[in-house]
Amino acid sequence: MINLAYKDIKYSFTKFIITAISVGILFGIVIIMIGVYRGMIFDAKELVKDIDAQLWVVQQNTLGPFAETSKVHEDLKDQISYQDGVKYAEGITFQNMQMKNSYGAFKVMLVGYDPLGKISPINPNKIIAGRPLKKEHYEIVVSAKTHYKLGEKIKLGRDYYTVVGITKNTVSNGGDYLMFVSLKDAQILQFTYSNERIRSDEARGIKGGNPHLVNAVIAKLKSGYNAKKVAREIENSTHKTVFTKDEEIKLLLQRVIKKSSKQIGMFTAILIIVSIVIIALIIYTMTLEKIKEISILKLIGISNFKIIKMIMQETLILGILAFISGNIFAHFMADKFPKRVVLEANDAWTLFIVIIVASAFASVFGVYKVLKTDPSEAIGG
Amino acid sequence: MNDIAIKVENLVKKFGKGENEVTVINGANFTLKKGEFAALVAPSGAGKTTLLMMIGCVLEPTSGRIEIGGEVVYDNRWTIKDDRALRRKKLGFIFQAHYLIPFLDVEENVSLLPYENGEKPEVVKPRVKELLDYLGVGDKLKNMPSELSGGQNQRVAIARALANNPSIILADEPTAALDAKRSVDVVKLLRKIAKEKEVTIIMVTHDERLLPYCDKVLTIVDKKIEVKEHLEGVII
Repeated sequence: MINLAYKDIKYSFTKFIITAISVGILFGIVIIMIGVYRGMIFDAKELVKDIDAQLWVVQQNTLGPFAETSKVHEDLKDQISYQDGVKYAEGITFQNMQMKNSYGAFKVMLVGYDPLGKISPINPNKIIAGRPLKKEHYEIVVSAKTHYKLGEKIKLGRDYYTVVGITKNTVSNGGDYLMFVSLKDAQILQFTYSNERIRSDEARGIKGGNPHLVNAVIAKLKSGYNAKKVAREIENSTHKTVFTKDEEIKLLLQRVIKKSSKQIGMFTAILIIVSIVIIALIIYTMTLEKIKEISILKLIGISNFKIIKMIMQETLILGILAFISGNIFAHFMADKFPKRVVLEANDAWTLFIVIIVASAFASVFGVYKVLKTDPSEAIGG
Repeated sequence: MNDIAIKVENLVKKFGKGENEVTVINGANFTLKKGEFAALVAPSGAGKTTLLMMIGCVLEPTSGRIEIGGEVVYDNRWTIKDDRALRRKKLGFIFQAHYLIPFLDVEENVSLLPYENGEKPEVVKPRVKELLDYLGVGDKLKNMPSELSGGQNQRVAIARALANNPSIILADEPTAALDAKRSVDVVKLLRKIAKEKEVTIIMVTHDERLLPYCDKVLTIVDKKIEVKEHLEGVII
């Protein structure tokens, strides 16, 4: 028996493969866009997950520390520590900074924490070289992607910090690299002013700044306590706003990255539609190129079923090859993106189903053309 | 035993409607027996291809009657359910150009129709080889059409038309793309096929040099068919 699709593909193999790869690159872009979307969600949750605090105590009536600015006094941690159900409480700061080294300029989030405290924002599994902070001054732990090396001195503000640890896959909620310094150093960097500013403030009658602030107090609970319940009790007794870990993650997803992720989601949806239209056009064009052969086949008595089978098989093979090449392209390119691209197998398989359905839909145009082709077109040149 | 291969009675074909109506064939009548080789001649636009398409059940006549191999296929309306099944079982087509399927090799081009008719490879393969040998292209079994000359391709096209053992071959200017010598070769071959395999052949042609090879000449005159039989000087 003769499989017309196989024979046709074999005959124009190079052209078919190039077409499939071209469509595949388009699908690859779709896969990467989905990966970027997943990456945004992943990054948004990553730091909160690494810190692994059950409660986030922030300035009253704010959505801090990520969705809104929040400043609370450092000694709030003592007050929180005494709350019923709280095991530990620590102050933490977050500060965005622009850095520059021989690899170029980049944005980082500087996280300040107490190296002698009970809660560390550094996931120990993510330290790939060196160690966490041990001293209260002039040590720094950096993300590997900043390209700083162990022992390297980094100037922040007026002081130099020595790199004592390197982490991998540590990012801020916005996907920026992280650097960790002690809480005392972070407070100096964030809340103290330059000498000129202090003199200027004094001339205006403003008496000094308060460096003993943090952006949030984070807490871990004793076992058996309900985070939500403890959070509401703290809110009532301290006049602060308290979020549980899940609420903080929800805030990040809904307030911080919602519009960006929607934007990417819409762009991805449009890309999928464009891909389907392109596949439909390719199949239609491929059918038009064979219209003479199709009219001859119909004229000599070959059934519509056999001709339609050829069109549909070619479409499906094109879709499958495009899917495979798209995945190869996406996996090859994903690491080259500056921010995290999360390629999930479930997304790929969902897209595969979409491609197969879309290919079948796209082949309808070709099939319609087959059905409409007049066999008499074969006669008369 | 009925040896009538094609019987056409009062066949009419009109195109368009109202003021734009054009009558191309108006009451055509002729009969061809099994194994007869007939030429269909007429000036361009006189309706040769239209007549061929109506006999081939590709184009619906306006009225009249067509009988193919004893089966009435049209009697003021189609009387057959599946025109394509009729074509693949009883008819063979040869065109101006060879119109072989470019992505199939010679063997596949010729065996396509028998396979479509449900025949098994063990039956089809030897027959196709025999047919191609008979037509002098038996050594080109695995060649693609693009690797053959015009004459060789036309022979393969003839083999394709014969592969389903048709009782009728409709040939639409099969020599139009060939030079004079090759044209004569092909027409001689068609005559040989008609006689040896008892296949009725209608061949549309403009080339009067080919008429002596035919048993009958059907000429479209005033939208009707004039039949000349037993031509003087017929070459057998």
